[in-house]
Amino acid sequence: MLLARAEIKRARLRFGLLAGAIGLLIFLVFFQQTLLGSLLTSFTGALEHQSGTVLVYSADARKSLEASVVSPTLVDRVAAVDGVGQAGPLGEATLTFVAKGQQVDVAVLGAEPGKPGQPTNLVKGRLATAPGEAVASSEDVGKGFGIGDTVATASGGAKVTIVGLTERSQFSVQPTLFVTFDTYETLRRAANPDATSVPPSAVAVIPAKGVSPREAADAIAAAIPGVDAMTRSEAVTSAPGVSSVQSSFAIVLGLAIAVVALVTGFFFLILTVQKTAALTLLHAIGAPASYLVRGLLQQVSLVLGVALVVAIALLYAAVSGSSSGLALTIDPTALVTSAAIIVALSLLGVAFSIWRVVRIEPVEAVSHQGLGGVE
Amino acid sequence: MRIALTELRRRPARFAPALVALMLLTLLLLVLGGLLDGLYNGSTGALRAQPGELLTYSSDAKLSLVRSRIDAATAAEVAKAPGVEQVGGLGVVLLGAKVPDRAEEASVALFGYQLAPRGVPSPPQHTGDVYADRSLRAHGVKLGQTLLLGPNRYPVAVIGWVSDTNFLLQGGLWGNVETWRKAVESARPDAVLAPGTFQALTVVVSPGSKPTEVAAAIDAATGGTTHTVTRSFAVDSLPGLAQQRTTFNAIIFTTFFVAALVVALFFALLTLERTTMYAVFKAVGASSRQIFAQVLSQAVVIALLSFALGAVLALAATFVIPPQVPLQLTQARAVEVVVGLVVMSVAGSVLSLRRVVRVDPASAIG
Repeated sequence: MLLARAEIKRARLRFGLLAGAIGLLIFLVFFQQTLLGSLLTSFTGALEHQSGTVLVYSADARKSLEASVVSPTLVDRVAAVDGVGQAGPLGEATLTFVAKGQQVDVAVLGAEPGKPGQPTNLVKGRLATAPGEAVASSEDVGKGFGIGDTVATASGGAKVTIVGLTERSQFSVQPTLFVTFDTYETLRRAANPDATSVPPSAVAVIPAKGVSPREAADAIAAAIPGVDAMTRSEAVTSAPGVSSVQSSFAIVLGLAIAVVALVTGFFFLILTVQKTAALTLLHAIGAPASYLVRGLLQQVSLVLGVALVVAIALLYAAVSGSSSGLALTIDPTALVTSAAIIVALSLLGVAFSIWRVVRIEPVEAVSHQGLGGVE
Repeated sequence: MRIALTELRRRPARFAPALVALMLLTLLLLVLGGLLDGLYNGSTGALRAQPGELLTYSSDAKLSLVRSRIDAATAAEVAKAPGVEQVGGLGVVLLGAKVPDRAEEASVALFGYQLAPRGVPSPPQHTGDVYADRSLRAHGVKLGQTLLLGPNRYPVAVIGWVSDTNFLLQGGLWGNVETWRKAVESARPDAVLAPGTFQALTVVVSPGSKPTEVAAAIDAATGGTTHTVTRSFAVDSLPGLAQQRTTFNAIIFTTFFVAALVVALFFALLTLERTTMYAVFKAVGASSRQIFAQVLSQAVVIALLSFALGAVLALAATFVIPPQVPLQLTQARAVEVVVGLVVMSVAGSVLSLRRVVRVDPASAIG
């Protein structure tokens, strides 16, 4: 053990560089993980943080709120299904707004006041209850969506005034406005005066007391043909883009984690091969294999420990210094899970080095010319 | 060189770890590249096929085809702008399509067009007839079938096939303007446009005119109510496309980096283990250059072998992956991968150069 620590002390630069390199790679993993979590929240936060725990889309929408259009009469039909407590229309559209003199793509969600579909993460102000009022995503205050600000559609000039702010409630990674269904209709007609009607995109539902969202969704699906009734969490996970983003990031994350394990494994293997003669001599003068393996594991743990500290420090610096439009939030549980996987795989990576250490034959010390042996 | 190849032939197991790692990385690179190409082509085909060099949107649409509206009066202004030879209206609606005998709906983009895109015949004479993109065959679409579009099941009949005309990963259907208007009326009453109004215009520029100058002239002629861009700019402005390309390229470059790392570490280890052998070679007259050439040739051979095996696996994967997944393996991508892999292998093996140069021939004799 003493020897392992002494070696690190004498080769601080070598071990320091390795810990730094692995720290950077682990930072890459942590940062991408944080980015993924934040991106998914920005994709579907508005769906996740609205009050309807069941959402009913048209069957041809293929689980996309943007592609869904339902008949206004569907709201009453859904409300009449056993197990449904409350039902209300939910409209969604991406419109061009002018805020701070700039054209901005904005996702607009419209729901009737007091009905399902209201934002649940209100952090400031109040809900929109009157025509021309809106609750905006707090992440976009700097873009001209603060309380008291007024924004207008680029075409038609229909105006809304921000009266409240939500958190983690964006849709499609865009500034998001929660408005009343009347306001939604006004905004849609301003953007396209030729529209013959503005039907809801979906029906938002709160199940009756004692009925779970799953049971309510099943009851709606059984009672009304041609619709796709899903629980809120199903609607979030099956939203278009979510699975492709998840799988793309999974590949990058998997690759980065594999690289960490590979780099750690190869580095210690090279070290072991370089030190074979010294390790053979130590073994020959009485150091058991377990002592040598413990020394190796101590070095690996120290390098990984320093690397993790470097990675976490870099992550906090990156998140606090991030100026991108995406609000980055660190998920401690995900970090701990990733760190555990990285440590486990890295230890697996050094398994070959351990095997080489265990395989060392003390007798080779007397035949190794470099150690004064004869052959 | 011959010794290096002989070693590869006689002791293949020694090189197996690097070969397997690079083979898997090749598979990953080809599949990722194929997905990127498939996603790009599947998203942009309809715009790339447009006959005009320019596309005109309304200025408040932020280059979104779905949100753009160009009325008849504006279209007439565009047609009169200097340098404009021909103008055609274009409209699209994204819908789900019920295919006969299929439980799952197909995602389609129904276009109404006035000027025929590349590879698409002139607009069908009968309302309700459409040309379908061949990719829809993976969803069970057949010639002569009637597809039912949207929640109100507007029927369209498939009268022919076209290629590479998809839009935002939805299968392209190409009908006359009336077919598009009726489908919108049926499925998306909130997106209905007045007669004569289109979502965008495809603009053919007169011979000798510069497209960017004509675009500026069009926007000036309409008093800034339009935003005219080149076809390639319109393609690159499709939502999510740039981010998609950036993400995939980041993964691909990371994978190439990993390949270089694998080769570097593998040959560093191999060189370390063969120090004595290299010392003997040097003692009998071999130069560092000759020895390093051996390392390089082994790295290149391993890269090429890995690519060949990885490519076979990637081809096999195309038979297993469902046809709905937009995977397109192209020769250009394969060439990029093999060149990248060889370059990265050479770069990785260069790290062993210092160690080879430092081998002392005297150590061969103790």
